[in-house]
Amino acid sequence: MLVKRLLLFIPLVLVLLLLQSYFWVPTYENQAAGNPNRLLTYIEGSSGDAKILNPILNADSSSSNIVAHVFEGLLDLDENLELRGRLATDWNISERAYLLVNPHHRFPDGTEVTGSTLLHRIKKAWLTGRDEGLKNYVQSMELLPSTQREETISLLLPNAQGKPQLKDVQVTVNVPARVAFALSQVDQDLFDRLKPILGKKYFEHFPFDELIRFPKELGKETEAALRVKFPEILPIGEHNPTIVFHLRKGVNFQDGHEFDARDVKFTYEAIMNPKNLSPRTPDFEPIKTVDILDPYTVKIIYKRLYSPAINAWTMGILPEHLLNDAAMTREKQDRGLSDEAQKSFGMRDSQFNRHPIGSGRFQFVEWQGDEFIHLQRFDEYWEGPAQYQDYFMRIIPDLLTQEIEFQAGAVDFYGAQPHQVDRYKSDPTYQWFSSLGFAYSYIGYNIRKPMFAESEIRKALGMAIDVEEIIQYLMYGEGERITGPYPKNTEWYDPSLPSLPYDPNGALKIFADMGWVLNEEGWLEKDGSIFEFNLITNNGNPIRKNILTIAQNAWKKIGVKCNTQVFEWAVFLSDFVNTGDFDAVVLGWSMGIDPDLYQIWHSSQAGPQQLNFVGYKSLRADELIVRIRQEYNRDRQRQLTHELHRLIYEDQPYTFLYAPLSTRVLDKKIVLVQKDANGKEDYQKIYPIKSGDHTFHFHKWRKLEFTPEF
Amino acid sequence: MWNFIFRSVAQRLILLVIVSFMAHSFIHLAPGEPSEVDPMNPRMKPEDIAKIRAAFHLDDPLHVQYAYWIRDLASGELKSFKDSQPVLPKIWDRFLNSLPLFILATILVWTLAFPTGIYGAVHRGGLYDRSTVFFSYALISIPSFFLSYLVILGVVEWLGVPVISLKTFGMDQADPAYKIMDRVWHLVIPSVMSALAGIAVLSRYVRSQMLEVLSQDYVRTARAKGLEEDTVVYRHALGNALLPFVTMFGFLIPGLIGASVIFEQIFAWPGLGRLGYEAILARDFPVTMTLIFFTAVLTLLGTFISDVLYAVVDPRIRLE
Repeated sequence: MLVKRLLLFIPLVLVLLLLQSYFWVPTYENQAAGNPNRLLTYIEGSSGDAKILNPILNADSSSSNIVAHVFEGLLDLDENLELRGRLATDWNISERAYLLVNPHHRFPDGTEVTGSTLLHRIKKAWLTGRDEGLKNYVQSMELLPSTQREETISLLLPNAQGKPQLKDVQVTVNVPARVAFALSQVDQDLFDRLKPILGKKYFEHFPFDELIRFPKELGKETEAALRVKFPEILPIGEHNPTIVFHLRKGVNFQDGHEFDARDVKFTYEAIMNPKNLSPRTPDFEPIKTVDILDPYTVKIIYKRLYSPAINAWTMGILPEHLLNDAAMTREKQDRGLSDEAQKSFGMRDSQFNRHPIGSGRFQFVEWQGDEFIHLQRFDEYWEGPAQYQDYFMRIIPDLLTQEIEFQAGAVDFYGAQPHQVDRYKSDPTYQWFSSLGFAYSYIGYNIRKPMFAESEIRKALGMAIDVEEIIQYLMYGEGERITGPYPKNTEWYDPSLPSLPYDPNGALKIFADMGWVLNEEGWLEKDGSIFEFNLITNNGNPIRKNILTIAQNAWKKIGVKCNTQVFEWAVFLSDFVNTGDFDAVVLGWSMGIDPDLYQIWHSSQAGPQQLNFVGYKSLRADELIVRIRQEYNRDRQRQLTHELHRLIYEDQPYTFLYAPLSTRVLDKKIVLVQKDANGKEDYQKIYPIKSGDHTFHFHKWRKLEFTPEF
Repeated sequence: MWNFIFRSVAQRLILLVIVSFMAHSFIHLAPGEPSEVDPMNPRMKPEDIAKIRAAFHLDDPLHVQYAYWIRDLASGELKSFKDSQPVLPKIWDRFLNSLPLFILATILVWTLAFPTGIYGAVHRGGLYDRSTVFFSYALISIPSFFLSYLVILGVVEWLGVPVISLKTFGMDQADPAYKIMDRVWHLVIPSVMSALAGIAVLSRYVRSQMLEVLSQDYVRTARAKGLEEDTVVYRHALGNALLPFVTMFGFLIPGLIGASVIFEQIFAWPGLGRLGYEAILARDFPVTMTLIFFTAVLTLLGTFISDVLYAVVDPRIRLE
């Protein structure tokens, strides 16, 4: 019977055919043994694919990882998290400041304010040197005549559906005569120093209406929104911090084109070009102008005091010649796009993002979507070539498969989970890193709610929770206690503050002092109502979910009734956090390197959709936050951050829980290769730097044929 | 017949528009924003977010957004939010990756399920039949991702060869024959794993279908005529037992997109399922919408093919 035979024969042949393919596949051992290049290849596993390989556009960690290898910024952070020159050799920061003549004001002695009197009086004070700051910082001053300028202002207004939308308004600004100052360093108190001369109210009652002209038919709401912006459009006293970068000469992009000042200016312009929708705009928005002084010198003038702005220059610099208008027009035409698509064509659409060219240590070779990205070392890199020849990022979405590949040797690096720490720490084939990053977890209380209004109550709630227990059992010991809002490994953090003690009895005593007494059912009660609230967090984070339970249980022990709920992330944000409609949340922050906490802690940021969602309001904190972001001197900045840290610590708007340690494993054969002057090699153990980053010396890494002993 | 085809195509086109519009509404009604609109980024200002939303047309009414989507899809210039790459080539690339996995798994299911089921039906109640029943239910009940993990661990531990992804990493310099066989090997395990549950289910169907047919009068008649048992089973019974399976063929087609999400995730296979899964997580509306649209097209196409095939193979059915 043919059918019967076929029914048996076909599957049999198929199965045999498939299974025999096993004999053609190299085993893991063969792959390493028969391939000397493997020692010069670094393979990393990543759970997500990169999105867009362009330093001004990427926003995800996989893309940033690749971009950091291919591109290089003017600056970067060195081992101690201080700025270090890369494409820039050095830089200096000074200031230009302007003071408008306020014609409606009179000096304290009653004389009218005119340009010449203003300059004369300030100059006199400067030359007599009565004010130290004025004498030390101001280098020169002059009077500038009045001018006129046209400007387009973008306003954010609700549209018919009530959603915010941008609207452009054309205004004419009549700038009155002003005194211009040149300062050797940035001085945020310059105008305060002038107040004895100018009179205390010089900066109030400024006639904006006479000086700023706008179209009459704007409508009430637009006009109101525009008026709010008047002090920003025409600041009475204006600080213009200025950075001059001296660029490294003879640096080439990977296509052989020389890097110069035009690339810096172009990168800035590309970020600010609204078509490109760069997520970096907020970092570069404070810039007023970028001027090319000569091919190797760029001058950046800022609109206002904002010291973290310099950190933005650690971002990779784009090659102008490959992305300028001419190049984009060529690409548009080559791809034969429709008119509609040509009009909206921006850098986001360019093929450059799939095949980037930068000036970093590695150059791009190939990208197979959701499979791997291949980089190769750039031999002409100005600091000399890296040790590794090839770099691969393999995309392996599943963590378990990633671990299997790592153990088989097909991936060199594994970001281990805290519960796997013990397994790897004791294994002699691997080296182990566990270090602090910039993140922390906390319980945030909605301070707008009367029950959380007192800092004592928040403190008592914090004292009831045994954080050590959380670290030990949830994090497997891979976490450290924290006391405040700064990353523990930065100098902004004040290490002298003691962490909140675990003291349920002390907590109960605080509650008793505030009039809360335990009722018959064991709950704290005052004026007939018990202390009860909801603690919520987002779904998909098992550790946060467990913290929920631990906190609930800890509070139950002191008579605080806490109900817990977990929501899907999008719902959690839109219905609770963004609207401020919650009691308490378990969440975490991942901080930046700069000390600016404006968005998270300033009282102006406590509205809906803003990040101070707990509603923290403190006059002193506001003052400190603003001073910190305007301070350019690191030592003074540190003093201010320590003060802010202490203030927030005392107010306890959050119960600061812990900073997680990131835990990573590498093959032990990978070492740091140090070369002395004669080219003799010396091997060193890889170590994480202060920021917790163990890949800081990646360019000196290499895999050895043997396992070294340190 | 032609009348039926014409009517049925027209109906399906209308249905397709309705389905796509509903899918579009659901996607936008679900909470969450594209990951490019990142309100939890401390540096993002409301102005910046408004700009991004405007560029993605997120503030327009739903029907206008739908019109934009249709327009861009038709002109082939629909772009992903995530990386601004054109959506259609992106889907096509992934489709080519998913296709071999889908084809091989389908072939495995259909070639293995039939002999297993038929043998079970013919030797009903025997040791073989009872053990296949047991294994079938075991395979249906054990989560396939769990089984996949066990198999990967086993293969890597005992055979020492790689199993995940499209090919062994770093085989670029190898002989073409080795390269091809390497690709086949990487296909084997994921397709076997995704076929297992299918084999279990389908062989159950085949078995019960065969049992039903074997108890029919004409089978008894055939046996009474003195025909050989094999002729009875494979000529008279099998042909009729096959009828319902013809229609199942059509329903297979939409599985191309959705069926493989778990396996593509575990085996790091850059296919359509993963593309869709990641697009949903990142709220990449253009990619999600287009994939849903194609799934709908494939489903409607599948049911259509089933209808037609049914008429072709079963002379009792006339399509009017």
